[in-house]
Amino acid sequence: MKAWKIFVLAASLALMGCGQNGGGQKLVAFSQANNAEPYRAAQKSLMEKLFSMTADVKLVTSDAQQDNSKQIAQIETFIRQKPSVLIVAPNERAALTAVMGKAMEAGIPVICLERDIVQPNYTTYIRMDNRAIGRMAGQFIVDQLTKKYGAPKGNVVFLRGLLGVEAEINRDGGAREILGRYPDIHIVADPVANWIQAEAHDRMTEVLRVQPRIDLVYGHNDPVAIGAYLAAKELGRDKEMFFTGVDGLGGPSGGIRKVMDGVLAATFVYPLGVKEAVEVGQKILRDPGYRPPKVITLDSVMVTPDNAADLYKKLTVAGE
Amino acid sequence: MFAWGPTIARASRSRLFQVPSLIALVALVIMAALTSPTASDGSHIFFEIGNLTDILRQVSVIGIIALGMTLVILTGGIDLSVGSVLALSTALVASLLTRNWVPGVPALQMALAIAAAVLACGLAGALNGLVVARLQVQPFIVTLASMFGVRGLAKWFTANENIDIGFGKDVAAQFAGIFRDKTVVIGSYVAAAILFWILLSKTVFGRHVRAIGDNPTASIYAGLPILKTQLWVYSLTGLLAGFAGVLYAAENHQGNPNAGIAYELDAIAAVVIGGTRLSGGQGTIAGTIIGTLIMGVLTNILRLNNIDSNVEMMVKAVIIVLAVAVQRKGRS
Repeated sequence: MKAWKIFVLAASLALMGCGQNGGGQKLVAFSQANNAEPYRAAQKSLMEKLFSMTADVKLVTSDAQQDNSKQIAQIETFIRQKPSVLIVAPNERAALTAVMGKAMEAGIPVICLERDIVQPNYTTYIRMDNRAIGRMAGQFIVDQLTKKYGAPKGNVVFLRGLLGVEAEINRDGGAREILGRYPDIHIVADPVANWIQAEAHDRMTEVLRVQPRIDLVYGHNDPVAIGAYLAAKELGRDKEMFFTGVDGLGGPSGGIRKVMDGVLAATFVYPLGVKEAVEVGQKILRDPGYRPPKVITLDSVMVTPDNAADLYKKLTVAGE
Repeated sequence: MFAWGPTIARASRSRLFQVPSLIALVALVIMAALTSPTASDGSHIFFEIGNLTDILRQVSVIGIIALGMTLVILTGGIDLSVGSVLALSTALVASLLTRNWVPGVPALQMALAIAAAVLACGLAGALNGLVVARLQVQPFIVTLASMFGVRGLAKWFTANENIDIGFGKDVAAQFAGIFRDKTVVIGSYVAAAILFWILLSKTVFGRHVRAIGDNPTASIYAGLPILKTQLWVYSLTGLLAGFAGVLYAAENHQGNPNAGIAYELDAIAAVVIGGTRLSGGQGTIAGTIIGTLIMGVLTNILRLNNIDSNVEMMVKAVIIVLAVAVQRKGRS
């Protein structure tokens, strides 16, 4: 009886999408794993900004909300639309490997952004060196503790991200590699906070109840380091320890700002990789003979109170 | 529009209730035809075989779960544990495939791994059914508890880490290759759908399922095997969720203890959109399949038109409410 109403409603909503498919424009599709993470939201806004500078490119994006199956489905639908370039920030390596292979088979150039996949089913992989970041963090921990005690010793807490993903494995492993050389530095707790600030808050509160003395917290991303800071502050113990993170995003809510505010002692810039992805994408669009490098590795920078203000200016996306 | 409704005998009325959802599905397909972006040769991308089979493949996992959910809801129950059961299945099957416990006989290991995972999930379902039927605890509460319990079991079993199924030549990779295949996935869904359609509409068991939900008191007086029926309904739902988990593990190349969160709600939505009454007694497998397809087609159209996926959730909300409202109207 009211079925026609469903029809009208569906019609109006579906029509919202019409008229967007402008003729002659080159389609670039970006499949993001989870836009709820600030790092990934920053990737999306920078990508939109950079692609909007060329009028003949139409960027469409999707957000898989941290769900592998959803991202696979979204990429399948993108493949049907035959974009000129497909950029994928995979949610998890094993799950996305096959569908990215399908895109390659369909003749679509694929740029794999940040997280790697199991088989090289991409035209270019833009990677950030998490191992190097882990080592830098490890060295920072050693230096900081040496400054405090005159010798490399003390109690450290790690707050881990999503287990099994490359960033977590290497940010963790790189730091442990360095700290392993110093027997008097103890990792007294390493709970999993899944990259989420609220989870870090809870896990750190438990750690604080158990551990009477903590010298430094190494959060494997900035949100979990900030979550840990908030937990310590609540219990009046924030002055007892240093907090360090990874990501070093610009903007008022990013990690660089937190270093300027004195919340974090340091963070390590985890490059967005978007500038490079857009460069490669644009070249693929414009030059049929262009063969991009298979892997592009980006370097990190340590952010401390000394260089934070400069980097903040440099890495804040205008309009953010 | 459905003025002939009241003249139709009660027994066949449930068939009528799937009509509004069928109209909605047809309307969605027409919408898709009108709004589908076109390929370079002018053809509609929506109607490409590749795209249509994409939709079927993408709805298969939820679709299979929704078949079981239909039975449970028809008895007046609910099963909130199916997402957790799916996760348990992915973990079990991936673990059994990546361990070398049946050396040299890949086909046997694959069969045993799948059977073990599915059966374990059937047992989890049977436990739900037993507590519901024997202890007379409300299904919502029983399966809410097992939603937590089974999720915990899956996380404990895997130490909350994914079990990766590789891309090599071993039995695990072979398994993923077979059960990720579009034809196999869609074929599984179609086979399960036919099986459950027969079970519900052509067997005594199916009549009992409906009768228990339609009028529990009368069912007791009529001496229907309530305990046995409930036990089977929840067991079958567990088995189906387990099998959906096998497909999920192949699709995602991993056992994932965090898989399937909120899948129970997607399945319930498909059942309800398909015209099954949440309080039990009335509903069909065909309706649930239509409900599942409505969700899948809707997602596909919105994605093809690159509409924000957050909007998709809002549209789903409207469709669920409208579907139920239309069906209430049809009944009154």
